[in-house]
Amino acid sequence: MVSDSTALAGGLRASARSTPDAAARAQFPDARRWLQLGLAAIWLLDGILQFQSFMFTNGFSQMLAGTAPGNPAVIADPINWTSRLITDHPVATNTTFAAIQVLLGLGIGNRRTVKVALAASIAWALGVWWFGEGLGGILSGSASPVNGAPGAVIIYALLAVLLWPVAGDQDDAHPAPFVAARPVGPALAKAAWLILWGSLAYFAVTAANRTAQGLHDMVAGMASGEPGWLAAVNRAAASLLNNHGLTASIILAVLLAVIAVGVFLPVSLARATIILAIVLALAIWIAGQDLGTILAGGATDPNSGLLLALLAAAYWPAARRPALTPETQGELE
Amino acid sequence: MMVPSWILDIFAAVMLVVAGVSAGRLAAGRAGSRFRPDADIDAAHVLMGIAMAGMLASSLRTLPNAVWIAVFAVVTVWFTWRVSAEVRTQGAAALGTGHHLPHLVHGTAMVYMFAAVTTAAHGSGMGMSGMAAGSAGMGTLKVPTLGLAFILFMVAWAVWDLDQIGNARLHARGRLPRLSVSPQPAAALAVAGPAASVLTSAGSATRHAASATAVTASGATAGEPASTSSVSTTEGTEAGPLLDPRVAVACRIAMGITMAFMLAIML
Repeated sequence: MVSDSTALAGGLRASARSTPDAAARAQFPDARRWLQLGLAAIWLLDGILQFQSFMFTNGFSQMLAGTAPGNPAVIADPINWTSRLITDHPVATNTTFAAIQVLLGLGIGNRRTVKVALAASIAWALGVWWFGEGLGGILSGSASPVNGAPGAVIIYALLAVLLWPVAGDQDDAHPAPFVAARPVGPALAKAAWLILWGSLAYFAVTAANRTAQGLHDMVAGMASGEPGWLAAVNRAAASLLNNHGLTASIILAVLLAVIAVGVFLPVSLARATIILAIVLALAIWIAGQDLGTILAGGATDPNSGLLLALLAAAYWPAARRPALTPETQGELE
Repeated sequence: MMVPSWILDIFAAVMLVVAGVSAGRLAAGRAGSRFRPDADIDAAHVLMGIAMAGMLASSLRTLPNAVWIAVFAVVTVWFTWRVSAEVRTQGAAALGTGHHLPHLVHGTAMVYMFAAVTTAAHGSGMGMSGMAAGSAGMGTLKVPTLGLAFILFMVAWAVWDLDQIGNARLHARGRLPRLSVSPQPAAALAVAGPAASVLTSAGSATRHAASATAVTASGATAGEPASTSSVSTTEGTEAGPLLDPRVAVACRIAMGITMAFMLAIML
């Protein structure tokens, strides 16, 4: 006898296989949908992490207030005001924050609400980027690709834009060269990539990050509160960086710059740089960001490394596929 | 400050609803002395719902932790067998079809939570097994990396389930590619198996036949005997909405998110 869960999952797959290409594309998640689901999962994870006990304490509001110093008053003052609001009403505000993020995850996860949720996630992410992350420290001089610049949450917003489901993007006469190009076109998508990774390359060699011990101290400081294996990774990475801050910063900046221009290169080289981007993002996420310090408690998100890897996947050059025949085109309509 | 108790109560209430719905599915799907093939999943949901509600709200606590550990160890062994049977008959791809694997992971996570929290409760001198210790941010979970792995799995699978439910609605609304209709829809339904089942619960007979025909034509059957598949297709309509496949999946989503929440606040 067929079981319920098999009926749901297996049935969809079976139907997707039933007509070649067209039905499969209409029903089974395509590359963009998979990436949307990845974004949904991260939003859901954020919402769940926001329920941790630390978030209901003054420690959370102090953490937000800590992003204000170094920013211009026009940026810092609203951050401080928000922090005071959260201090005065920790339960109400934090529960609201958590619920919003859970709903964003669930909304993007459901096909019927994906557009509404993506639009809401852009607004929410921009607000959090300002009031919660102090614009990622890009104006305060504290930004580093290792500590999460330009702010993890702005990458959520960028992903929401680049993964926006647009009508007519099944147009096989003019297929998008990669998923992120579907809603905004290749030129704008590549420009966004260049700006993001180019800015990371710049942040890698700012004054605070190119000192002899800058990167070492940043990585070594992450070990506190982490499980043994992750602390060991931190210590190993820190020992490699010890007194080699300038060299490491330059190497990191070069790699990031190569990635920044990678999407403008021929497909084979573009793929190589996308792989480099994913590997580097994950390496930073593990060794430099400690998985967002989720295991140490007090993390509101998994930080930027995972998001950068997800973003890079959206730029993976698409494989050419045969154009639809009139018959299969008709099935899609 | 700990996680406010009313938040824990809300999650506990959700778990009780899941347990109640799953118990209802067990009862509704019973034919004489025989249960539906997926009764084990509903039974697991009942057990997990009750256990998790007890962890979230001390007033709902029912059994000692050691008993729950034993119960969920059995559940884990059972679903391990079920998953291995699926892999034997359908190949490794069966792991990705989302049938028994998530329940295996849920069972394992329950064992992990109870085992870890028990240790923490002793260490902190607290009698309460559940969230009281964890929500205080005392780091009650041993091997937190495992806890994070469970969280990531729960979240990922919840999102996947959500996507599939949305996809099923697309089926129900007839927004799928047009397909030819079999002249013998009943026969097609019998062969189509899973696709027919999900559609029977969701939409009109015409669409059932259409999709079933497509599946039949492609040869993408589930390898199920026609007679049993036919029984499955009638469940959602004749026994009421409780046996709709989406109800089971919704329960799994709620279970997964609540479990991820519990693990997160105990990290």
